[in-house]
This record gives sequence, C-alpha cells and structure tokens, in this order.
Amino acid sequence: MPPPSRTLLAIAARERLQAATRRHFFRDCGVGVGKMALASLLLGGQPAPASDATRGELANPLAPKPPHYAPKARHVIYLFMAGAPSQLDLFDPKPTLSTYDGQPVPADVVKDQRYAFIRRDASLLAPRFRFSRHGQSGAELSEVLPHLAKVVDELAIVRSMHTDQFNHAPAQIFLNTGSPLPGRPSMGSWVTYGIGSEADNLPGFVVLSSGSGISGGAANWSSGFLPTAFEGVVFRSEGDPILNVSSPPGYDDELQRDSLDLVRSLNERHLGRVGDPEIAARIASYEMAYRMQSSAPELMDLAGESRETLELYGATPGRVSFANNCLLARRMVERGVRFVQLYHEGWDHHSDVEGGLRNQCGQTDRAAAALVMDLKRRGLLDDTLVVWGGEFGRTPMVESNATLGRKLGRDHHPQAFTMWLAGGGIKAGQTLGATDDLGFHVAERPVHVHDLQATILHLLGLDHERLTFRSQGRDFRLTDVHGRIVQELLA
Amino acid sequence: MARVRIDWLLAGLAILIPTSSLPLAWGQDEAGLPPPVEHPVAFEEQIRPILAERCLSCHGPDRRKGGLRLDNRADALAGGDSGPVIEPGDGAKSLLVEKVAGLDPLSVMPPSGDPLTRDQVALIRSWIDQGAEWSEDDTPAEAPRSDHWAFRAPVLPEPPEVRDFGWPRNPIDRFILARLESEGLSPAPEADRSTLIRRLSLDLIGLPPTPEQVDAFLEDESPTAFESLVDRLLASPHYGERWGRRWLDLARYADTNGYEKDRERSIWPYRNWVIDALNADMPFDQFSIEQLAGDLLPGATTAQRIATGFHRNTMINEEGGIDVEEFRFASIVDRVATTGSTWLGLTVGCAQCHSHKYDPITQREYYQLFAFLNNADEPELPVPDPEIARRRAEIQAEIDTIVAGLADRFPLPDRRAPGLTDDEARRQHLAEAMARWEASLRTHDWTPISPTRLSSKNGATMEVLEDSSVLVSGDKPNQDVYTVELETDLTGITGLRLEVLPHESLPDGGPGRAPLFSVGDFLLTEFEVDAVPEEGETARVAIANASEDYSEQGHPAAKAVDEVPDTGWNVKGAIGRPHAAVFGFAEPVGDGSRTTLVLTMRQEYIHQMTIGRFRVSITTDPAPIVASGLPADVEAIARVPAPERSEKERERITRYYLSIAPELAEQHEEIARLREALPDFPTTMVMQERRPEHARTTHLHRRGEFLSPEEAVEPGVPAVLHPLPEGEPRDRLTFARWIASEENPMVARVTVNRLWEGHFGRGIVATVDDFGTRGEPPSHPGLLDWLAVTFMERGWSLKEMHRLIVTSATYRQASDVSPTLLERDPENVLLARGPRVRLDAELVRDLALSASGLLVETVGGPSVYPPQPDGVTALAYGGPAWPTSTGPDRYRRGLYTFTKRTAPFAAFITFDAPTSEVTCPRRERSNTPLQALTLLNDPVFVEAAQALARRVAREVPQDDDEQRAVRAFRLCLARRPDATEIAAILDFLAVQRARLEAGELDARAIAGTDNEDAVELAAWTVVARALLNLDETITPE
Repeated sequence: MPPPSRTLLAIAARERLQAATRRHFFRDCGVGVGKMALASLLLGGQPAPASDATRGELANPLAPKPPHYAPKARHVIYLFMAGAPSQLDLFDPKPTLSTYDGQPVPADVVKDQRYAFIRRDASLLAPRFRFSRHGQSGAELSEVLPHLAKVVDELAIVRSMHTDQFNHAPAQIFLNTGSPLPGRPSMGSWVTYGIGSEADNLPGFVVLSSGSGISGGAANWSSGFLPTAFEGVVFRSEGDPILNVSSPPGYDDELQRDSLDLVRSLNERHLGRVGDPEIAARIASYEMAYRMQSSAPELMDLAGESRETLELYGATPGRVSFANNCLLARRMVERGVRFVQLYHEGWDHHSDVEGGLRNQCGQTDRAAAALVMDLKRRGLLDDTLVVWGGEFGRTPMVESNATLGRKLGRDHHPQAFTMWLAGGGIKAGQTLGATDDLGFHVAERPVHVHDLQATILHLLGLDHERLTFRSQGRDFRLTDVHGRIVQELLA
Repeated sequence: MARVRIDWLLAGLAILIPTSSLPLAWGQDEAGLPPPVEHPVAFEEQIRPILAERCLSCHGPDRRKGGLRLDNRADALAGGDSGPVIEPGDGAKSLLVEKVAGLDPLSVMPPSGDPLTRDQVALIRSWIDQGAEWSEDDTPAEAPRSDHWAFRAPVLPEPPEVRDFGWPRNPIDRFILARLESEGLSPAPEADRSTLIRRLSLDLIGLPPTPEQVDAFLEDESPTAFESLVDRLLASPHYGERWGRRWLDLARYADTNGYEKDRERSIWPYRNWVIDALNADMPFDQFSIEQLAGDLLPGATTAQRIATGFHRNTMINEEGGIDVEEFRFASIVDRVATTGSTWLGLTVGCAQCHSHKYDPITQREYYQLFAFLNNADEPELPVPDPEIARRRAEIQAEIDTIVAGLADRFPLPDRRAPGLTDDEARRQHLAEAMARWEASLRTHDWTPISPTRLSSKNGATMEVLEDSSVLVSGDKPNQDVYTVELETDLTGITGLRLEVLPHESLPDGGPGRAPLFSVGDFLLTEFEVDAVPEEGETARVAIANASEDYSEQGHPAAKAVDEVPDTGWNVKGAIGRPHAAVFGFAEPVGDGSRTTLVLTMRQEYIHQMTIGRFRVSITTDPAPIVASGLPADVEAIARVPAPERSEKERERITRYYLSIAPELAEQHEEIARLREALPDFPTTMVMQERRPEHARTTHLHRRGEFLSPEEAVEPGVPAVLHPLPEGEPRDRLTFARWIASEENPMVARVTVNRLWEGHFGRGIVATVDDFGTRGEPPSHPGLLDWLAVTFMERGWSLKEMHRLIVTSATYRQASDVSPTLLERDPENVLLARGPRVRLDAELVRDLALSASGLLVETVGGPSVYPPQPDGVTALAYGGPAWPTSTGPDRYRRGLYTFTKRTAPFAAFITFDAPTSEVTCPRRERSNTPLQALTLLNDPVFVEAAQALARRVAREVPQDDDEQRAVRAFRLCLARRPDATEIAAILDFLAVQRARLEAGELDARAIAGTDNEDAVELAAWTVVARALLNLDETITPE
C-alpha cells in the first residue's frame, strides 16, 4: 500500500490540472478562428463559416454530405467472393453442357479469347450439381445453395455480368476501381468521398476478410488519388479490430483520457498562438480516435447477440469466419457505417470445382442468406444494398493439367458470370439477363462491370458521371468513360 | 489425341454467329453502288460532316492511317499508301467509294461501327462524279501549336521593384513582396531562431535539431549564422535521404513487384544511387539523363546503369496465366505518364487513348514518345561489392584447393600390388576405376549444328553463340514455341541431342528462364522434328525413344514426345548445370542431299518456364541412341581412344571423373557445401537498350488498347515542344538529352516548382505535375521563370536552389496566422507568412526515433523491416509474414522500410505515404483519427516514448522534474516550453506518478522495463508519449 499522502497529492494535482486546463487554455486561446473552428468541430457540427478552402481543411471529411439526388440505399454490404465462383454450378444451369460433356468447345465460340491456363479447344464440362426452382419467383439455384434458396425472392440475380479482365488481381481491382491497374480509388472510397458516412465513431468504409490472402491486395480498398481519409479501414478478426485501436500495454482508460487531455490542452494553447486550423482538425481527430477505442471493441463483441441470431448466421464468437463477418457487417450498418466490404477469397477452382464449391458454399451460404434475412426482419434491408459476386466467371470448359495436378476444374471466364443484389432499392424476385446454351457468352441484357458500378452509385443517390475528382489533369470517375445504370434492377 | 468435330453446336448456336451486315440489300446499279443523286452536292454541308464523323479519327492530322488524310483538299486528293482514293469525275472508280460502299468485303470502311448509309454513299459518289469540289484554300492543318505560357521558354525576368526595399534578402523576396504590396499585405516578421532551426533541419535533412544544436544556433552571433547552418545541413548525408525520398515518390520505388504475387524484388541499389547523387549535388540534367538512359552513355559505369532503375520501378504482373506482353505494355504506358509528369509537367498519359483534349499532344505523338521507351530489355545487374568479391575469392580458393587435391585423396585400393608407393597405388587405383567407368559408358558421335533460322512465337530474342548454342534473352513470355531450323548434308541421321545449358544471364544460371517458381527451370512440353528434303515433301520424324541425363522425378524427356500438351521435361533439382535430352529417330533421316530439320520446341506451360540456352547436335550412329549422361565435351573425349587423347583432353576427362567418382563422395559434399556458401552479389533492376537487329516496333493503339495495335510509329517528340537535336540517333539517350535540355521550356520550371512545393507545401504552380492548360496558372509567374533560368545558369545545382530558397526572407517568416489573413489567404498562396505543413509519413517516425535517441543513422543499404502490428501483410496474397528486423535495423530511417505494394507499411499509409503503384507527384496531407491511433498506440511510437523517458532520465539529474520536462519538450519541439505548458506537464506527471506509485498502473508494462526505477520511467514515458503526440511535434512551423 502506498502512503495515503501520495494519493491525496494525486487528487490535488488532478484538480489543479483540470482547473489549469480551463483557466489557461481557453483564456489564452483568445478570439481566433482557431477557437471558433475548434468549438464547431468538437460540437460535431459543420465548421464555422469560412472560405471554401478553409472549410475543406477543417471539416471532418467523412461528415455526411448530400447526394446528387434522393437515394434508395444508405448503406452497402458488398460480399466479394474473391477468386471467382463458378456461375455454371451455382446460378446458371446449362443442360446443354451435360449433353455435350467431354466434347471440345467449337472454335467459333471461343474466337480469340485468351485463357489463363486452358487451351482454346478444351472440352466442355457438365454442371456439377442439380438445380431446382425456388420461391415465388421460381429462380433456379444449385443444390449447394440451400440457404440462399430461402431468401431467393429478395434477390435480383444477374446472369449476364461480364468484365474485361481475366486474371485475378486486375479483375478484382477493375471491379472495385473501374481500372485494372492499381492506383485508382475504390468504390467504397468514391462513396464516402461522395456522401460521407453516418458513423461518427467508426470509419465510413470498412473492409473485412475471411478465407485466404486477397489477390488484388490493398489496391482493392485504396483511396487512390482521393485523400487517405476515404481509404477502406481493415477490421481484423483477431487482435485489434482496427490497427492500434487498443491503448498500449499498461494504459488504462483513465490514463489514456488524461493523456489525451494533456495533448488536447497543449494543442489548444498552441492553436490559440499560431492560429492554424489544422490544429483544430487534429484535436477533433484525437477525440474521434478516443471514441473509436471504445466503439470498435463494442462493435466486435458478439456477446450481446442472441443465440438465435448466432445460429442463424452460423457465427461463433471469437472465431474468424465469413459468418462472423456477415454478422459484424449488420452491426456496422446499424451503427451508420456507409460501405462494408467482406472479402472471402477461396473460389479459384481450377481443379475439382465440385469439391471446392461444396466447401466454399458450406462456409458462406448460410451466413449470406442469414444476412439478408436478418437485415430484412430488422427493417434494415430497405436502405441497405447487399451485393454478392466474384471478379469474373468460370469456363464452360474443363481445366485439367497433369503437371499442375488439376482435373475437373474450370478456368477464368470474363465473358459471363453471375452476381446477385438485394435490398436498397433493388427490384427483388427477378433473374436478369441470360447466357447462350453453353453459358459462354451473354445472350441477353449484358451488364458490364461499369454498369454495375453506375447502378450501385445511383442507388446511393450519386450520379456516376458527376462524381469526379481531378488528378493528373483529368477528371476521373469510378466508371471511367463508361457505365449505364441498369434500369431493370431498380425497384 | 484425335478430337471429333461436331456440327450440331454451330447449328444450335446461331446467336453466337455475327449476322453479316454487308450492304447487299440495296437498290444497286451496275457497279453494285447506289445510284447517284440528281442534285448538286454541297461539300461543306453534305460531305465534310461525313468525313469528320466517320473518317478523320483515323485519316486526320493525328493518325494518317495508311498514309491517308481526309481533312484537307491537297492530302485527300493526293491519296494514301495505295494511291489516289478520289478520281474527280468518276465516283464509281474511286477507291474511297469502293471502300465505304463495302464492295470489298475484306476491307470495308469505316472498319468499326455501322457502315455508311446508302444515302451517304450516294452523296459521296455523286460529289466525286460532280468533280470533287473542295475549296482550294483549305490548307492542311498544321501540327498542334499553343500560346500557353508553359510552352514558351523562360527568360530571366528583372525582379520587380518593391517599396519596402529593406525586406528582401534575395531576388525571390522581391517577387513575393511586390505581389504582397500590390495586394495591400505585408510580410510576417521573421520566425524566432529555435523555430527557424527546426524548420530548416526538418526541411533539409528531415531530422529535428538537438537541443545542443539549437542552443549553439541561438548563441551564434555571427552575421552569417543562418547561412552557416544552411551549409552544414546541405552537407549532411541526411540531405540525400530527405530529398531522395521525395524523388522516390516520383520513381514509384517499392521493394515488391505488385499485382497478385507481389514478390520481393531487389532494386535498393537504385535508392542508394539517388541518395548518393543528391548528396553529391549531381547536376539535375545529368541526374535525369543517367536515370532515363544511363545504360546508353558511352562507357556507361555500373552506377550509371544502376540509375536506370528509375523506370524499372514499374510493377510486374506474375499471376499465373497472364499475357506477359500485355503487362509489359502497361509498364511502358506507366513510364510515358511518369516521364511526362516528372520532367515535362504534362499529363501526356491522357493521349494514350485519344489525342489530348486540352493540351496540344496528339495520340500519334504519344506513341512516338512511347517508342523511345519501348526498346529496352529489363535485366538484373549484379552490383559489384569489394567485400563480397573478397569473400567469394576466399571460398573459391578453398574449392580450387580441394578440386586440385582430389586425385591425391582417391582412396588406396583394398589390395595393392606389392612394391608400389602409396602414391603409385593410389594412381593405379584411380586409373583402374576410371577405365571401368569409361567401359561402362554409352556414347555417340555428335555433330553440333548451328541453326540457320530461329524464331520465338512470343517475341523472345534468340541469338547463336560461337559454340553453336542459342541464347534466349529479351522478352520473357509466359509460354513460347521456338522454331529452329538446321541444315545438314549428313546421311542416315538416327538421333538428335538437345543440350540445355547454363548461362550467367539466366536466373540462378539457367538453363531455363523461369523467374518465379522453379527459378532457372523450364518445361519442354512438346518437341517435334520435321525433315524437309531438298526435294520432296516435308515429313514428320517419328521419335522412337527419348532419354536424358537428368530430369525432375516424373518429368522425363519422354513426356516431351508423348503428345500430351501439359506434360514435359524439366530439370528442377539440378539448376545451374548443363543437361541433355536425346531423341532417337524411328527411321534414319537424310539421303545425302541437303536436309533441313525443323524443330518445334513447345514450352506451353505457365510462369515463363522457357529454355534460356540450348544447343542441338545430331548423330548417325546406329540405333539405339540414348543419352550418355555426360557433358557434351566429355562425351566427345570419351569417344577418342585413350592413347590418342591430348594432354588437355586427358585432364578434362579425369577432372570430370574425379567430380563424380563415388570414392570421393565426402569431398564432393564439401565442395557442394562451399559452393552453397558463396555469397551472391546484390542485384538491381536496370534498363538495357536492345540491339538494332532486335529493335521493337511501336504501334499506335486504338483507344489505347493493348489488343488493338494499328500502324507503326517512329520515335518522336510533341511538335509543341522544342525539336530533337539534328543528326542524333532516335534512341532513349537522345530522348533523355532532349528532356534535360536548356531548350526544354518545362523541365527547369517543373523541377524548381517541385523544390518550392517541398519547402512551402504548395507549388508556385499548385498542380505540380500539370503545367498544361488544365493546370493551375502560376501564382508568381516571374518568380517561377527567375528560379528556372537561375537553376540552369547555376549548373542545374539542386543544392544551390535549396540555398536560395531557404535563405530568402520569404522562407524565414513566422508561420503564425491571424484570422484576417487566414480568411484572406487560407492556402498561403501569397506567402504573407511562413509555411506550416505536417511532416511526411516517414519523417513522423524519424522524428520520434531521433528525439528518443533510438534512430540508427546508417545511410543506404537494403530495406529493413521495423516492427508493425501483426497481420498487416496477412491480407495480401499468400498471407506472407512480416519478418521483423532485430537489432539496429528496427530503428533505421523510414525511407529504408521495406515497401510491399499490396500491403504497405501501415503507419506510413496512414500518414499519406504513397503506395508506389504509380508515380506520386504530390502527397495529400490528411488529418485522421487513424493517425491519432498510430501516434498514441503503435508499438514504434510507444517504444520511442519509453526510450525518450530513459534518455531524459539519463541526461537530467533526478529530482529535477522541471528540467526533465524541459529536456523532453525540447527534444521533440526544439523550443522551450512556457510556464503554462510546464505547469500542465508537471501536473500531469504528478497525477500519473501518484497512480503508478499507488499501483493503479502497471509501471513495468508502461515503461517496458523490469528495472527498479520502473515507476519513474513509466511516469516519464507517459509524458514523453503525450509530447510525441502534439500537433506541433509533427509539424515544422
């Protein structure tokens, strides 16, 4: 036990500290733009009126901003099935492939398409699973998606997606940024740049990952040439959910708060002296950081979820899983996070597409369906857009390669793939578009990646042609110089 | 394997077949054309719009496809490469009409989009029938021109007159002050000295001054104290680190290749080069030329070759199954854009897809620039290092000694003839063993043949060396097919030997070119031989048997002749050595007349597993023909009867035998161990111009697409800029000299503007990479030109320009800002105050390490792995671990931190460091909660706080809290705290110390120590941490 006098001394010192803070710092700040700006920032509102440039520096860049027009969706949960799931075995049944299983694909069909691994005259491969119709909409789904079948009437299934890229990293980056080369802002960055976020104690654009390492890497959620504030913030399933969100070893909350108070009081005093509004912005950043220190762990703690909810998702608190991430995504949306992107890498089935899909669907089907169900019953689905899909499709032709030890797989296929969307202004209960008898080309209502991007922005109230940023002499946008809104998808 | 074609698919898939859109349904006259119209055709109203909309994108001033321009009368009537296209008076005979009417189904114009309508064709035909009237004064449009300020060469302006003539310290100030006076503003007073020394130190070397340095400066009463300080800082080796990091932003320097695989690369010698060049104040023109074309300088030094790493910093896609050439194309696109923004201040990249919309650069000119940069190979260069050379020589000497003594180590026989000395017995034993070995050999007489023709399907460069072997270099496609033609007069050829040979240019010595997986290996998937007699039919040569000296388990040479396209022969496990596969023919080939053997070597796997060097020999020995397992020269010697061998031959075969004799296994192991221990020279990535005979052709690409090449273009420069020097070769060196030329109106302006931006946080032209018409105009045009011309006049010296800038009164102003001035000039464009800009990411960390005394100041060397939170790299492909450095490398300056593109160092990204995927002309400066979390909680900063506490405890006596607080404060901020600040810090200290003493807090955890004085250190640690988190700490003022 320490002598009591020390404790008394500490109490006395604390009182002096608080008094000093009040007395010196606010008095010395004087009447400056710094103080005005600070006051407004700390009140969480807009900064004091100043020139536009000053406003730009001062404002929380993630503060909500008005969209171009009334939005249908306020949040996005994007389930990125990295590696590219086989549409032919999940969503787009092709009896013709069964009929001609083992026959070479006609050269006229393949034309000059380049492939990653297979030869152009590879044989066709029959669908690996049985399909049946579900729900009132009668949408066809493969037998390995039994849970999705239960919410199929909430979905718009797009069978006519196509992309320009046939390798993982470029295709993932293309889907996220509109360009196959790293360096451009991602969708979540554009969205938070455009309309900010409603969360004031969590990042506006969050990235979660289950499965293995992601081919496109950090370029998938990069803010590119947009300010770093719009970069996707990776939430980790183990350790700190946000890097460095925990105080260092030995620091309790009181010490952290005391430390922040000292930093704040010294910053405030200096702000009064030099007048640079950047200091006010930094003080506000520290306050938000402090709030994140409690809000992030609270968010990640699934203990408050009912047993029924955990079972619905198949989530187990404390484990790293797609199911946990789906549940976390719902919790983030509840807390105002604008754009949540869940990566699940593991769909690159060059060999044994059947076994691979059984495994991956086993890990993801229940949770993806549960997410739609759970959002719906909590009234969140109406303004939350859920998107599911990979970066391209897989070939109707078989991939086999003795040297690589591959058999009964499918190669990368950019010409046609399937995605689904739900909630947030999507016209549910439909299957849009079609592919030809082999599932090789899109035959009806092609939807290009840029069209999907334009549509997602549109649902959020953003005009993809007006959401631009000047870099290297050019006004860039997510959809490059392309993209048309898919009207059929709109409710 | 035979494959059955089936018709049903085609019948059932009508939807897949494009419907023909030939204009067959028209009402046609005898020529297949729509009939002429009956009224006069007006060119300007009816014809020119059609040409403009449908023809000029290819046949206009920018493109001139097929040599044809249709934008002016003279060129249109002159026609194109295939002659006139307009025959005035006879529309039906005019090529133009034939093309647009689709009469030649193989060549319909326009080639894309809908064909012209029947009415449009009729109009064009009739206009020609009527004489092709076209106004005479419609002269050809000239090359793009511009009155834009930046395209005019800067002229040294007279600095303007100012009213307050006492303020300026050098001409810079007169430009700034004149503007301030005209705006009714006055400059701020000079900043106080501790602010100035901190600003200068952080600006020039990126490190804070020590309190001792601050005191010395405060006490220096000499009138040149400031200038001496500037001199000292410019002479510091840390100057090159600070400004080198800025240059590395432009160079998009990184330690990995990017894209999915994002493997590690070795290019840090280039970073060293940048630091050294800046420290030596290499003139900027030379600095530029060496980076763009150092390899082409006469007698290029290793350093000059290392400099070409600038453009090797582009990414490399190594994902399985990609088209390597497509991503090489992407890298050239990046190089053109980076060259444009770095040296020309122009967004030339915009012209990749179409002529620039705003600046006078045509798409053709874009590809002409592209052509300069499109003619290099991209090898890795071993970097000499005397220390490594010494160690190699030492080990090699050991190996040589063992090899030389092998014969003496040959064991004595179990039973020996009497009377022999040990030595004699040993030699006899060796001779007997060797004779037995020779008797067991199966060898053939092989005749090496130099190929008469060679080709690589996917563009690799192939050349025949003196020993008849073929070396492959240059482009390294994922898959390739080599076609090799050999001519021979031999009769009855029974077999063929394919040697694959090592070479110093190949990864791990070869014989394969694979750079990524199975480095140095190849996979020969199929091998075919055709025989072409002098007269008669080409015939496929049936292969009866295949054998090899070595293969990876399960990949024998037989797999290269099994007609299974995805299996083959490779040599994994024995890289760096020669190998051979031997193919026995089913029937002898060659009747004595000239036979041409055509070899098809398919290497159609992935991951660039192609052969790097090979040699072909043939034999007429009787079958069966099998591999001997010997190197070719040894096999040839073995064919010579022992008594007839030369001394050299005897030595060679003996030496070979000694290297494989099972009796010497122990020595072989020792040799292998030593070889393994030979240290490698570090390598770096460089540019190497291709030889003229292998020059690449650059094409214009429609819409900038890789898959849409069009006509070829020659290297050239935009007409709006200064011309290329006459009579010089059109190569990268000429281009580099053109860039770094005093005639270039852009380069000096762009460079001084970048320096200005580095000091003031904003360029005189705010869009530092865009001086074009869409860029921001300069805030002080006269100053920009004065600096640019002065820069060139002073020998392109960067240090001179830094000196000029930082010794100006403008730079020395205090940065405090009043609300009125902030309202008036929020971005400090007019410079009525000094700069106040947050430190760059790396410097935020450098400062914490420096203040705390942890910084290890070693300059240069390979990249290091300082601690960062677990899991940062786990998200990247393959989830690689971060091999955290131990020892001093934990505390090196930030620019040495390993940069992994797909998972960049977290703390730096948070503070706006570039991800190095593309060039970064200017860093954004954000201010985010994640930055706060980093400074508060990141292990690096926590460690710095602990070290700062220890430092203060060490340097200031105990029981003097105030002095300790002052010391800590000054280590972070240079200036002394005022009384209020001291009071706040001491109050905080008292509270935390009391809590620590009360056991409320874990002192050892906080202080990171088990020492007895943990409580005291912990109390100071939390103080130090707070100080390291101040806005002022990370912001020079």
